[in-house]
Amino acid sequence: MSEIALRAIDILPHIKICRKGKIKTKNSTQDRVINIFLICLVVISIFSFLPLDIDWIKLATRIPDIGIIFAKLSQLSLKNFDFTLIALLETISITILATVYGILIGLFFGAFAARNLVKNRVVTTCLTSFFTFLRAVPTPVWVLLALVCFGLGPVAGIVGLSIHAIAFFARAFSQSFEDVPYEVIEALEATGANKLQVFFAAVLPAAMSQIVAWAGLRFEINFQESAILGMVGAGGIGFAITTSMQSYNYGVAGLAMILVFVYAYLIELAFTTVKKKYIQ
Amino acid sequence: MLKINKISIINQREKKLFTYFGIVVLVLFVGATYLTKFNPLEVLLNSNEVWKFIIKDFLPPTLTKPVGIFDAIFITICLAISSTFIAGIFAIITAMFGSEYISPFPKVSKIIRGVATFLRNIPPLVWAFILFSSLGIGTGVGFVALVISTFAFMTRAFIESIDEVSKDSTEGLLVVGATFSQRVFQGIIPSCMQDFISWFLYCIEVNIRASTIVGMVGGGGIGLVLFSYLKSFKYQTAAGIILIISATIIGVDLLTGFLRKKVMENE
Amino acid sequence: MDNTILKAKNITKTYPNGVKALDDISFEIKKGEFIVVIGPSGSGKSTLLRSLNKLIDLTSGSVTIDGEEILNKKGKNLRLLRRKMAMIFQHYNLVYRLSVMQNVLHGRLGYMTNINGVFGNYSEEDKLKAIELLNEIELGDHIYNRAGDLSGGQKQRVGIARAIMQDPQIILCDEPIASLDPSSSKIIMDIIFNMAKKRGITCIVNLHQIDVAIKYATRIIGLSKGKIVFNDVAENLDNKTIETIYNTSIDNLMINGALKTM
Repeated sequence: MSEIALRAIDILPHIKICRKGKIKTKNSTQDRVINIFLICLVVISIFSFLPLDIDWIKLATRIPDIGIIFAKLSQLSLKNFDFTLIALLETISITILATVYGILIGLFFGAFAARNLVKNRVVTTCLTSFFTFLRAVPTPVWVLLALVCFGLGPVAGIVGLSIHAIAFFARAFSQSFEDVPYEVIEALEATGANKLQVFFAAVLPAAMSQIVAWAGLRFEINFQESAILGMVGAGGIGFAITTSMQSYNYGVAGLAMILVFVYAYLIELAFTTVKKKYIQ
Repeated sequence: MLKINKISIINQREKKLFTYFGIVVLVLFVGATYLTKFNPLEVLLNSNEVWKFIIKDFLPPTLTKPVGIFDAIFITICLAISSTFIAGIFAIITAMFGSEYISPFPKVSKIIRGVATFLRNIPPLVWAFILFSSLGIGTGVGFVALVISTFAFMTRAFIESIDEVSKDSTEGLLVVGATFSQRVFQGIIPSCMQDFISWFLYCIEVNIRASTIVGMVGGGGIGLVLFSYLKSFKYQTAAGIILIISATIIGVDLLTGFLRKKVMENE
Repeated sequence: MDNTILKAKNITKTYPNGVKALDDISFEIKKGEFIVVIGPSGSGKSTLLRSLNKLIDLTSGSVTIDGEEILNKKGKNLRLLRRKMAMIFQHYNLVYRLSVMQNVLHGRLGYMTNINGVFGNYSEEDKLKAIELLNEIELGDHIYNRAGDLSGGQKQRVGIARAIMQDPQIILCDEPIASLDPSSSKIIMDIIFNMAKKRGITCIVNLHQIDVAIKYATRIIGLSKGKIVFNDVAENLDNKTIETIYNTSIDNLMINGALKTM
């Protein structure tokens, strides 16, 4: 141990010295956990590259091509603009319908999955697990299935999107219902109201603000999703984008993408203004 | 007397708001139904056919060639992790220059933030299509699509984290006379490490789903496998694959959720 | 040799929105003084302090520190200048996840090479100095605790220790006790005053508590709307001047302690 270290311990006896004889600047036990965790993450990440059969060199050399595509996309063209506009409207419609059905059916199932409304644990657990399963599968998979069942076109998009939306709302609503304090339900039941009356008079209004919040959030998400779904064939603007890209009409595709952004931005703007007014 | 008046006004205002809202929704709903010619009754009536179809063809879910399928899921997971990792590295570096408090070029930071926000709104699938048009399909291209979309999201998230967490401490290091790298390694990295790890895990969770979706249109992994089985009408296996996908996602969600909690708890 | 350590000449700061935070201010500070700047919010106190170490750039005017003009300092020269001027903040500005000792050692970063600083490779002598310093201000028990785990008064002591570690010629204090309770406030002001006196460091402190200012200052500078309205020893601060600074009658101000009346 160096002389300096000895002097340090003289002043503050609990100073720690590391093996090389140097004074420690921190308590390393806390950091150890995070460091080990970090190292594990890095190691796992590096190992995750190995199974991938990718020709990295070829990939790297072709990266600049991406810029070319962007250049082509930004040469916006108004060709077939009416089709693009209708496609956008179709996407918006798909979003609206899926959200509305999602909410209505989700409310119904959500009520049955709420543990404070339905005492039967088997029912609630089954429903909750079922919806967790439905939500875990990404929406495009459901849409793909819907395509198989119903053929190409917006119907598949609506059904596919609805499945995910219903599952989402069922879960969200059941949570909101469960958040309603037990005293409220108890009080109404004591006056002699039956289950249905309790639900409509107390639980629903209490959870309403949360419901509205979820609905708004979902609407935004649904729009993005429905735009994407079009790309796998479910109609709407996504479909317009893919078809125009596949026929090398990049200008049209670029314009369509910009439309999507503008619309998404407007919706977000609308929601924030409404929220401000409503919270007032 | 005044009190009663006030109460009824508030109620009326809320009622008005709800009625307006309800009317708007109704109009939209009708318009949408008309436009898409979506008749839910038709769906329900036909659903008999649909259910028969589903029961006959999709059930019971089986797994022919399970080895190939598990291989594909494994690849999907690896894609998610590796793309998040690469995106993370680029994102940390970019975020250093994008945060106006720490960036040595504060003017550039505004541009970086704007670009990141813009790119963040492009979903991975769109990137996949753009890249497929230019680079052709394949696992590698799917990888790049994931990297780009994750990078945009992470950069924005990291910049917000840096701005929020280390604004004060960076100023403290600045007046001491520390260099840029010293401020980064002695100030930003210790303060933001938890948040970074948390975002990293979150992006892995998102990317498992994204990698499945991208796979469906040609990016490789389980998505592509599912797609091909559906196209070749092997619905029973497809059903089995869907179950596996769902199980994987739920598992990953639970794992990352648990890890994120542990990281944040280590305060 | 001239004992002046800081000279400000006609300094002005106009913000892009037209607000003139500092309006043609000039003053001189001699070595070893304990200057307190008082004034209402918006008078330019914070702007003045932060312009002295170039956290804020002045619109015009010159500031000379120990004979060196700071206006054009950039990059490496700026860092060399900054390590001579330590700063203590109202919100402590520590790195909460690092230990107290690591935070104190940050004061030496201006004297270390880039690589050493990045990896926290402090010399043993520096570490000993930090230990002695922490012992002096009675934070020895917390030396390995995370800075974020400390109370407000303790955090500020760490901030002071970090400042002293820089071996500065000047310490700038931006409302150091604004976030502290009365007992911690007294401890902190005493520590700053005594440490500076012992080491011959000049202090410039922003305060909004007039009684504290009078108690510790060798000289008080009163700012109002970006101009200096008082620049004299504490004894000469009278009620009338205070009313001018704060632009309101003395009855509307919350001041403890005795004041001389004209």
